[in-house]
Amino acid sequence: MSTEATAPAALVPVFVRLKLTLLRNGLRQSTGRTAAYVLSAVVGLLFTAAIALGLVALRGNPHAGTLAVTLTGILTLGWAVMPLFFPTGDETLDPTRLVMLPLRPRPLIRALLVTSLVGLGPLTTLVLATGAVIAVADGPAAAVVGVLAVALVVLVCVALARAVATASVRLLTSRRGRDLAVLGGLFVAFGAQGVNIAARQLGSPDGLSVLEPLGEVLRWVPPASALGAVDDAGHGAYGRAAAGLALAVVALALLLWWWQRTLTALMTSPDSSTLQAVEKDSARRSGGAERGLARLLPGGRTGTVMLRTLRYAWRDPKSKMSWAMALGLGLLLPVVYAAQGNGSIYTSFSASALLGLQMYNQFGQDTSAFWMVASTIATPRDAFVELRARALTLMLVAVPYVTLVVVGAAAFIGPWSSFLEVYGLSLGLLGALVATGAMASALSPYSIPSDGNKNVAPGQAGIAWISLFGGFLTAAALTSPLLALTIGLHVAGLSGLLWVLLPAGAVYGLGVATLGLRLAAPRVAARLPEILAAVSKG
Amino acid sequence: MASEAEKKQEEEEYGSVATPGGALAGPPAVRIEGLWKRFGEQTAVHGIDLTLPAGHFIGLVGPNGAGKTTTLSMVTGLLRPDSGLVEIGGHDVWQDPVGVKSRIGVLPEGLRLFERLSGRELLAYIGRLRGLAGAEVDKRAGQLLDVLDLSGSQHKLVVDYSTGMRKKIGLAAALLHNPEILFLDEPFEGVDPVSAQTIRGVLERYTSSGATVIFSSHVMELVESLCDWVAVMAAGKIRAQGPLAEVRGAAPSLQDAFLELVGARGRGAGQNLDWLGGGAR
Repeated sequence: MSTEATAPAALVPVFVRLKLTLLRNGLRQSTGRTAAYVLSAVVGLLFTAAIALGLVALRGNPHAGTLAVTLTGILTLGWAVMPLFFPTGDETLDPTRLVMLPLRPRPLIRALLVTSLVGLGPLTTLVLATGAVIAVADGPAAAVVGVLAVALVVLVCVALARAVATASVRLLTSRRGRDLAVLGGLFVAFGAQGVNIAARQLGSPDGLSVLEPLGEVLRWVPPASALGAVDDAGHGAYGRAAAGLALAVVALALLLWWWQRTLTALMTSPDSSTLQAVEKDSARRSGGAERGLARLLPGGRTGTVMLRTLRYAWRDPKSKMSWAMALGLGLLLPVVYAAQGNGSIYTSFSASALLGLQMYNQFGQDTSAFWMVASTIATPRDAFVELRARALTLMLVAVPYVTLVVVGAAAFIGPWSSFLEVYGLSLGLLGALVATGAMASALSPYSIPSDGNKNVAPGQAGIAWISLFGGFLTAAALTSPLLALTIGLHVAGLSGLLWVLLPAGAVYGLGVATLGLRLAAPRVAARLPEILAAVSKG
Repeated sequence: MASEAEKKQEEEEYGSVATPGGALAGPPAVRIEGLWKRFGEQTAVHGIDLTLPAGHFIGLVGPNGAGKTTTLSMVTGLLRPDSGLVEIGGHDVWQDPVGVKSRIGVLPEGLRLFERLSGRELLAYIGRLRGLAGAEVDKRAGQLLDVLDLSGSQHKLVVDYSTGMRKKIGLAAALLHNPEILFLDEPFEGVDPVSAQTIRGVLERYTSSGATVIFSSHVMELVESLCDWVAVMAAGKIRAQGPLAEVRGAAPSLQDAFLELVGARGRGAGQNLDWLGGGAR
């Protein structure tokens, strides 16, 4: 008993010192890392300070309360999802490392909570919360409530992140969790576009009033309820203020209780890596649907490779991410341009450009499993069938998708009169990218590390960029006859003949793609060991 | 152990004449001449000559870093040698890939499989890639999964397999097209005893029908109990090759013979650790 009473006092400084040591040692590893850390810290804090000052400047604005509450809500959401997508990005102490030490849960939680308060994240949150409170606090009562509110917001955010992280450690250390983490980049990319569009909306005159209904709900959701309490205290509504604060306190208590429970469970049960081997055969749904799909594909090597590529597009996080990026951005770009008022049917080229780039570094996507492909390629013919099957898989998705995007652009942006020429040019560009992509796959393959957000193995970034840029320029050059034809028809005023571009683009794309595959195949067959070595790094 | 003269004699004996083990006349399973590979400063394979007879269970033994994996990679066409000749069943690996690739099965070490496929999907994939008919692939895959005790996990993704299960599914993928010669790089590394026994059973059945297995290992006891022919490799060179009994010579075990060959005899057993163990703590 006595040890339990004295332990916390001793434990907290030990943990804080440990964390500071870990931070310092992490920075000591390389000057580049130190510089990056310092730079991101400075930029982050300046950015945060700017937002906080902006909030302070909004003092007295009728929407200030709503904005402060909403911002706190977003901040809390960020803390909640961060550990899910960046399990390694959090420098806080990992409790599973402490499993072998004789620590009681309660003092451990206290020490971990205090440790979690050390760092850039909590500091940023503190600055933002302070700014939000200053924006809404009116009068001495509100100031007192405000101090409490800042502390509660920071504590709830930190406790939430730690609790979520602990509860999801099982998930994050499993294969599925690591797959999810790879998709984190996707979440950020599309989230940024969402924020971009939302900010544009709010920036419009009287845009802030859009937030009113959201603010009405959020002000009762902890820890934003503490911000609501500050507002209420300023208006003399002490009952509502007390309720808001109480909600935040209850939320903090519940989070700490949940965290302690999951932490105890985590540290007293075997870890997932040993459980996985015992796990029952997860009956993969390779029954009806896929057998049906397999039946639709051609026989021989072609169908086999197509099926494997399609399965990888869905099951391999890196492939899935790159497909999702291409499909998502290909559609998003025309939409964003249209939303900004710069819409043009020509923006729909993004679909064929981004999907065509999927043909690049085909073998890098295989990782070192490429040896299985290499050991079954004996002739240039084998290599041609392999490349053609991969191109066909791409076409299976790309042609309908490009059609859809171009039709959509013609319908929503217009004009329909340009539809045939844009569609024809898109198909031509797709074919040119398949051709250059096949060549680049043969001549400059590079590794794609399967973990983390990196898409190029260290030291190979140069190869990747050169092959992508060179390939893109070559593809542009290859498309130039079609462009010349388009311009020629426009200049000559023969707009009645522009329909020719559709069949011309389709035939030209098909021809140039076939030519590229034919040229690339003997090079693949002759360079199998070199390709394998290039894609096996990292 | 094996002097140049002895090596010559072995080559004559096992090179292209009938082997005493019983079976085949014809070209050796593998013939290597003057094989070199350098990685930057380091020479991984130091101009080796090696002739491995067909129809045997052959072990390529050596300590870690001896160049076993590099040699096997070059022999199976996965790594290009700096110079030298490699023939498999009389076909040049680099000049005649068509003659070689369909005859060999490979289980490399340190390379991945297509792990996002289930075990059964992986076999279906590689079998069809090898040009076998779909129905035949499925039949063979089912039997291999059964024999290798993987039927219960055939629909699980290979990425979720344990090390032993990965080696077994890799072995199944290498055997699927019934190759004449099977190359296995450390097939028992990190494998549990039950899986190891299963793998042994399959390999023994395979060689008893006249096929050749060539596998690398640094576990001497294993090589001694499985192989009838061994080649000893150290620091990128072949130190000895021949029938097991010949390489072992007068030494009580292959382990002792090996330690003598690589000159590691009498090292270790330090006097400096006299505090370790019982007595005063």
